[in-house]
Amino acid sequence: MQSTIEASDHLVCAVLAAQVAELRSRIDTGATVELLWQTSDMLSRLSGLVLEFAKRCSESDPNLNEECNAAIAAEAEISRSLESLAFTQAQRNDFTCQTVDCVVTALERLAVTEGTVGARLSPSDLDALYVSEEQRKVHDLATRRFNTAALAGRTDAESRNREGPGG
Amino acid sequence: MPAILVLDDSATMVMSLSRILKSAGYEVETASNGKEGMAKLAGGLKPSVILTDINMPQMDGIAFIKEARKSASTRFTPIIVLTTESGGQKRDEARAAGASAWLTKPTEPNELLTALKQLLPSK
Repeated sequence: MQSTIEASDHLVCAVLAAQVAELRSRIDTGATVELLWQTSDMLSRLSGLVLEFAKRCSESDPNLNEECNAAIAAEAEISRSLESLAFTQAQRNDFTCQTVDCVVTALERLAVTEGTVGARLSPSDLDALYVSEEQRKVHDLATRRFNTAALAGRTDAESRNREGPGG
Repeated sequence: MPAILVLDDSATMVMSLSRILKSAGYEVETASNGKEGMAKLAGGLKPSVILTDINMPQMDGIAFIKEARKSASTRFTPIIVLTTESGGQKRDEARAAGASAWLTKPTEPNELLTALKQLLPSK
């Protein structure tokens, strides 16, 4: 019976690991970053053409020339913002993938090792998988919440015991 | 034109950093981990600054910094760490290994370029 429970427990961990790993490819925003770069490149290319056009119309149409130059300046600003956005997105993506990898590694380890959950993967084992202070903060917060809930649960159970079955 | 060696296991990060550095006028060489970075240095690459992540497969950033500091050609090359790690033990390890500066992701392009300018040898 015990081995059946353990096999089921391992299977659940293996399936959860596969589910989260599958999720990784969907949350990977590499394609979004790529699109931001393509947009920035295309804007730069168009800006080059507008510059060429501005040169040709500088004498024949000074107003159009002025508008072209304003558009070129605006493009430079937008391209800088797009590059900055892509950079931020790439870094966020990096962090998200690292956290997903951490969860997958933990679940895969639980899926193949024997013993009780606490013995197979301790909180300090989890800590060793972290790659950022942000992950450690989440870990500490979850631990505090868990301990508070466990303490509240124990207090409730003790109260019920004191009151007896009829209370 | 100063050359920057960028080490990161995320292809998107490498590409993003390359674009920012190239548009700021730097030459960029890249590697996906410390081992690959060491191979580039052994191949004769002499970067003005090295920019490295910490958590990478095969050889992590700290091991890379230690190795780079053993080599005569990169003993004094400024090394900037750019990582999701915001400090603590890893930061101390990186400093002890010979890192020159530390930037925590997410950072802004301007912050990165300012750190580079401060570390680049003045001509």
